[in-house]
Formats: sequence, structure tokens, C-alpha cells
Amino acid sequence: MQTVRQSNEQTLMRELGLSSQNIERRKRFVAFGPEDVARVVALKPVVVEHVDELVQTFFQHLASLDEAKALTSNHEVADRARTMKREHLLAMTSGTYDATYVEQRLKLGVLYARAGLDTRVVMGAFQAIIRGVGDRVMRDGTRDAFERFSSFEKLAYFDIVILLDVLVYERERTIRQQSEAIRELSTPVLQVRDRMLLLPLIGVIDTHRAQLVTDGLLRAIRANRARVVVMDVTGVATIDSKVANHLLQTVSAARLMGAYVIVTGLSSDVAQSLVALGIEVSRFNTVGDLQGGIEEAEKLLGYELVQHVSDRKARVT
Amino acid sequence: MVPVLKYGDTLVATIVAALSDEDLEQLRAEVIDKVGRFRARGVIIDVTALDVLDSFATRTIRGIASTAQLRGADTVVVGIQPDVAVAMVQLGLTLDDIETALDMEDGMALLEARRRSRRVG
Repeated sequence: MQTVRQSNEQTLMRELGLSSQNIERRKRFVAFGPEDVARVVALKPVVVEHVDELVQTFFQHLASLDEAKALTSNHEVADRARTMKREHLLAMTSGTYDATYVEQRLKLGVLYARAGLDTRVVMGAFQAIIRGVGDRVMRDGTRDAFERFSSFEKLAYFDIVILLDVLVYERERTIRQQSEAIRELSTPVLQVRDRMLLLPLIGVIDTHRAQLVTDGLLRAIRANRARVVVMDVTGVATIDSKVANHLLQTVSAARLMGAYVIVTGLSSDVAQSLVALGIEVSRFNTVGDLQGGIEEAEKLLGYELVQHVSDRKARVT
Repeated sequence: MVPVLKYGDTLVATIVAALSDEDLEQLRAEVIDKVGRFRARGVIIDVTALDVLDSFATRTIRGIASTAQLRGADTVVVGIQPDVAVAMVQLGLTLDDIETALDMEDGMALLEARRRSRRVG
């Protein structure tokens, strides 16, 4: 279990492009240099002394917000978050800010993302904790307290940017998965008979989708050894000239692979607009409706459909 | 070099690697010569292994087809890959006047069907 989770974070590091080079670059963004490291490490006693109060501040802030309920109401998750936050605060004054440090921050980010925490909420709570540290440091009244605190703040910004990257990435993951699913759903290629494919097109076809249709169809022709394809556009309300040309290209490409394409279900509106647009409609082999198209395809493949009258009576009753 | 093999009354030319323009010219000459010599009735050009078909290759193939036609043989191009087909269509290279088939098996069947339909009565 532990090893699996470990590799998960490492994959995430890769996907976010968090190489050691990138980490150094990120430190440059917030101008976090060696002298800052020294100043932050000097804060260690203060942070260690007040670590529990600081963690408390963070979660008190979250508890006051409805948007964070998912995290605060689940005890198991809340406890893990609390432990990790504590580790985080202690690690911040440890003096080493390398890949392992970043990996720990990612872990916390993933936890927040899974709990459905919003970026706004995390930012607010993070601010509360920075303020808490600032309070203690200033109250201590040591020499160059302000410099030390602003170094600490730089590091905090470095951390929160990583946190935000994870939150945004996790949110986009859902979008990525959904659009992938929609894409697959929208271009099914079905085998109806041996060596006959049906390509039902439904909805709005844009250039991007037309390209996917072409791709999927040609691959299916090869995989199913198709000789006839029935492309049904009954469910397509409008076809513009760009898409019509793309469909023509699909027909030509299929022909180059030895497959004959029959187009069915062109509505009167679509047919009229294709003619009005001056598309070379003669290059489409069209049949009025899907039934006619399948019958035509069967004929081309040498199928003969026979209806046994006596049988049919027996089966229907 | 492209081997042109005789199989019954069909000639089979399998292109295994990208061809230079001279190779294509040579292929054309050889196919046309063999159509007459072996009294072939069909020619199959197999391009399964090619990942690109440029305009010169397309024109040569079309040339082979129409010359073979004049000498009494039908030509079928077989094995055009999906990506190649898309690229050709985008470049406007179509083989509208030539038969195409998915693979060698289909190509043979197509020629056979052609021959049968020519029979009188």
C-alpha cells in the first residue's frame, strides 16, 4: 500500500513537471535564496514551540467555513490532514527544500483535492497560518524579526503554489476524463454483418469530431475487414461546408482502403444546404434512409434476405 | 527492386520499402512487359508496407493501371494503410479510376469477380 502511494506521488511529480531543476526555478520565482534558508531555520524554536497552536489555527479557520465541511466532518481524513500539516510546519524550518520536501507538499495537496477543498478555502486557511507564525515571531521581538518572517513567507508562497498546482491539476483530471469519455461515446463504429460496418453520426459535428470519425472509421475498416460502410447522418441537424468536405475525404480515404461508403439519412434541410453550398454531392453514394442503406449494403455483399411467412406467424403469436 | 511474381494469370507486385523515382519507373516497365509476356489478366500492387504514397508514386501507379488496361489486365491496389489514405486524400491524390482492396485476399477476390462478370451469357 505504502509503495503504491509513494509511486503515485512520483507520477504526479512527473506529470506536473516537478524536476529538481523546476524546483530550483520555483525558488527563484519567490526569490528564496541561501540567506532565506538561514533565517527560516532560525525560526525553528518558535515554530516548534507553537506548532500545535498553529495547526489548530488552520483547522479552526476551516471549521468555520461550510465549504470545508467535507474535510472537517470526516474524522479520519481530518486527522491525517492535521498530522500532515504538523509535519509540514516542522519541515518548513528544517532547512532542506528538495524533491522529498515537494513530494510531501503534493501529498497534502492530493488530500485536499480528494476532500473537495476549493482553492479559495485553502488559500484563506493558509493565510491564517502565516499570520499565526508572523504574530509569534513579531511578539518575540528578536533582531531582524521582520526579515526572518518575510523569508518564511517566501517559503510559504513556494509551498502554496505547489498546493494550488495540485488542486488545479486534480480538478482538471475530472474534465480530462470526461472529455475522453464523451469522445469515445460520440464515435461508435458498429459491425452489422460480416464485413459491413454502421457508423451512426448524432449531434453536432465540428472539424475536430469529424477528424475523430475519420480516424476511428479507417481503423475499424482495417480491424473488421469491412467492405461496405453505412454512414447514417439522420441524427445530424446541420452540416457546414467544412464538415461536408471532411466527410467527403473520409469517403475517399475509405475507398482507398477498398471499402465502399453509403451515406444515409440526409435530411431535406441538410441536402438542400449541401447543394446550395456547391458541395460535390455526386461523390456521396446516398440512399434515403438507414433501412435502405443496409439493404443496399447487403446486396453489395451478396446477402439475400428471405422472410419465411409461416415461420413468422408462428413466432409472432 | 520490386519482385513481380506470376500467380495463375495474375501478376503480384509487393512493394516492401519506399521506392525512388527510378525504382518506380522500373516497376512500371517490368509490370507492363510481364503483362504481355505472361498473358496476365490481372495486376495486384501491394503497398501494405508503405507509410507514404507521394504524388509521383500515385501517378506511376495510375499509369501502370491504364497501360495494363490497354493490354487487357485489370489493376487493383491493395493494403493502403489508414494514415496513408488520410494523407493522400488531404493532398488530393485519389485513385478514382483504379480499384482498391483491403488486402491481397480481397484483391484476388475482386479480380476473380471482375473476370466472371466479363463472361458472356
